[in-house]
Amino acid sequence: MPVKELGALHSVGKGIARIDADEKVRGKAQYADDLHVPGAWYGYVVRSPVSHGRLSGLRMDSDFDWSQVVVVTPEDIPGNNIVDMMGRDMPFIAHAEIQYLGEPVALVAAPTRHLACVAGSHIHPDIEEFPPLLTLQEMVAQYKEDPSKLHELSAQTIRKGDADKAVNEADIVMEREYSAGHQEQLYIEPQGMVAVPESDGTMFVHGSMQCPYYINPELCETLDIPPEKLRVKQSAVGGAFGGKEEFPTLLAGYCALLALKAKRPVKIIYDRNQDILFSTKRHPSWSRYRVGLNKDGTIQGIRCEFLLDGGAYTTLSPVVMYRGILHSAMGYRCDNVSIDGHVYRTNTFPNGAFRGFGAPQALWAWESMIDELAEACGMTPHEFRLKNCLHEGDATPTGGLLRDSVGSPEVLEKTLERCNFGEKFKQCSHGRRGEKKWYGIGLSFFAHGSGFTGDGEARIKAKAALDLEPGDNGKPVVNVRISSTEMGQGTCTIMPQVVADAMSIDVRHAYYPMPDTFKVPDSGPTVASRTAMVVGSTVFGAGRKMKADLEAFASEALFEGQPVTLDQDRFRGSYGDKEMSFEEVAAEYLARKGPLRVYDQFQLPDFIKWNQNTFEGDAYPAYSWGCNVAELEVDTLTFEIKVTKVTAYYDIGRLLNPVLAKGQIEGGLVQALGYAMMEKIEVKDGKYDADRMQTYVIPTTLDIPEMDLHFVEYPWEHAQPGAKGVGEIPMDGLAPAIANALVQATGIRMRDLPITPERLFQMMQEEKTA
Amino acid sequence: MNKVKRTWNINGERREAEIPPVRRFLDVLREDLNLKGSKEGCGEGECGACTVIVDGEAVLSCMLPAGQVPDNAEVTTVEGLEKTPGGRLLQAAYAEKGAAQCGFCIPGMIVSSYAMLSRDPDMDPDRIREAHAGNICRCTGYEKIVEAIQSAAEQWPAEAKG
Repeated sequence: MPVKELGALHSVGKGIARIDADEKVRGKAQYADDLHVPGAWYGYVVRSPVSHGRLSGLRMDSDFDWSQVVVVTPEDIPGNNIVDMMGRDMPFIAHAEIQYLGEPVALVAAPTRHLACVAGSHIHPDIEEFPPLLTLQEMVAQYKEDPSKLHELSAQTIRKGDADKAVNEADIVMEREYSAGHQEQLYIEPQGMVAVPESDGTMFVHGSMQCPYYINPELCETLDIPPEKLRVKQSAVGGAFGGKEEFPTLLAGYCALLALKAKRPVKIIYDRNQDILFSTKRHPSWSRYRVGLNKDGTIQGIRCEFLLDGGAYTTLSPVVMYRGILHSAMGYRCDNVSIDGHVYRTNTFPNGAFRGFGAPQALWAWESMIDELAEACGMTPHEFRLKNCLHEGDATPTGGLLRDSVGSPEVLEKTLERCNFGEKFKQCSHGRRGEKKWYGIGLSFFAHGSGFTGDGEARIKAKAALDLEPGDNGKPVVNVRISSTEMGQGTCTIMPQVVADAMSIDVRHAYYPMPDTFKVPDSGPTVASRTAMVVGSTVFGAGRKMKADLEAFASEALFEGQPVTLDQDRFRGSYGDKEMSFEEVAAEYLARKGPLRVYDQFQLPDFIKWNQNTFEGDAYPAYSWGCNVAELEVDTLTFEIKVTKVTAYYDIGRLLNPVLAKGQIEGGLVQALGYAMMEKIEVKDGKYDADRMQTYVIPTTLDIPEMDLHFVEYPWEHAQPGAKGVGEIPMDGLAPAIANALVQATGIRMRDLPITPERLFQMMQEEKTA
Repeated sequence: MNKVKRTWNINGERREAEIPPVRRFLDVLREDLNLKGSKEGCGEGECGACTVIVDGEAVLSCMLPAGQVPDNAEVTTVEGLEKTPGGRLLQAAYAEKGAAQCGFCIPGMIVSSYAMLSRDPDMDPDRIREAHAGNICRCTGYEKIVEAIQSAAEQWPAEAKG
């Protein structure tokens, strides 16, 4: 493997069992609704019944006994009625404009959940209704007719070379449009939060979340308290996938505002119906390409428009769109690229973070387009990709240099070889008659930027701390103090593995407690495939410092001044036979000097340059790479589409824990399968039509194809442990691979997600009539 | 509302409850008896996170009026698994194979596994998938769950049968 040696690691790379597995299989993990909060009341959100309008007031039924509940309206908010995310356009509680159905107009708390709901039903908002803009389809139609009539939430361009000229001068010009609908994260644990007002004026927020340091500081302005008076702690999180990235700030705000007025703890646990109706979704997207090719298959120029349906407010949509445009022409060589990204307002719940964060939408379109381009110049999909894919030393669409850690083209070549793609491609059914099932095989190839987009990591400067302190059993423990959360992906296990290698101690001495902003520094949010790479390397740095500190202590206090090395859990002097275990030396340290805390901070390598205004340079510190092949069968009678096998290779840098890494890929691919073929949710009269688990259908054990999954390791070379991103990349490539396979099975090109048997039937009928 | 008195044998312990008969068994377990292991993921019998065993049958406790759980019923929830050899075997296999990620579906999933293997430990992956189609997991893609159950099935203790 063409990898520069980073240094051998012992704990990293082992598939040790999850450290939290025991409490989870025994039913002991404490999720938000399991927290014991004495005296807590239940919160309820009173919502707008219309999608767009002007709120003139609230009517409260006079025959209801209001003394038994607490009601919060905008007048009760101590600070500014603003949710301070990327835009400052969203209020916590609507006070004038209504921008979506379900927008909060008042909050209620009561001793029981039932009473809170009943009280809420006695509050009636008076709203003058305006016509809403509700769907991606309406938004795109308006964009084509006159975009100036849309409310733009964000826009960004990428320019490299002269794309228009290059496309116009090319031998072949192809123009295509693709779109994709909403996707619900559908974590199995619904959103839940508790706010506890403490006697010293501290507001303690505890619950299901990805990013404790989003809630603090975002809530401080609203509650009008300094950051040191807002304590945020994560409970066990029953899945998140982006759905608990920015949304929990809203829930925390509702609970905290009610708790302030009620002067007692308030909890809100959404039921599934509320959760689907009134939380974020993956942004619906629309991509239009105009691409110029030479007859030999060289890509001359790429012109792309990438639109996201932002929902009602800005929230995080600009960054989702940035990641979208950065992946819209990624993966292949081309000197002339022009991309325009836009996010427009629609009158639905604000769309938000979901695993992949714009990249799955972009790659759905781009990897479908690649197959269409291959066909246009008479090449097979694999030949076209092998010819054009990026190699080490090539430039990305923003002119960033792929210096090192580049798993392309190896992941592509290995996947093709593993599944015998070339041979199977010739056996596809399209064009044959008389088969009972149509067979197709399809391919996708992609990169996913690891770490925060653009200037994010330079801005965040992730911090990590390690605390050497007495553990629950009295023995010394190294606690990992980071704000990166455990939400199922394995943070609580990989971080002790990283510490073990940084310090050369046994992994059982390191532990990851749930983040609590009163105890952890800001390591940035748990998003953007950044935890293993960025925070992992910062934890490694902190581990090295703690090792040096303990070696210095041992030398001076225990080894009579001789140089001491901590190696594989043993302190050894450089002469003589004296040895002490880590536990002995750590206990001595604690007894003589008390707890030890060390910090480290993430430093981007100097050569990573990025211009946030022009979108030129290195958009990400590194890329993970992947290739998916989908094989499927179509029932010629029912048009049922069954994905039978997925073959994939990934380069996610160094594998910190192969079992957990594979679990991320398997789970992500199955979410991608749902996105591609099952998860259909539309806005009808302003409301999501699939608002329960009965109607929003995700894959079960019976929907899972055979999965043949492999890794190649191209570690990130600039910091131990050399991981790149793994969380999001499994979401990226399966939908286009399936669409590409479907073309080979049926001749039908699906350009809208999800791909359903009904839609296939309809398109085959249309083709017949045509 | 009228209340009914029930005495159940939950995880080998005698537990009493006086409850409105239509109160969901899940709420009785979680709120009245403080057995918070069983989870609510959907409240309509779709996700399986609330699965418990009543007299040998895996049931969805969010769909079950507590009054319908008869007196002296034998109830097993996730908290009771560690008291049985088969339960401990399943817990170890789930942990070792990486079958739990976020863990929220696991109380229901592993209780379904226990009910299924107690009845018939002779399971191949297809039958395991069939028997767990009512337990939704959003994290794992089910591969490691099926592996874990298969591994437990292969070592299923003879005394745990029946």
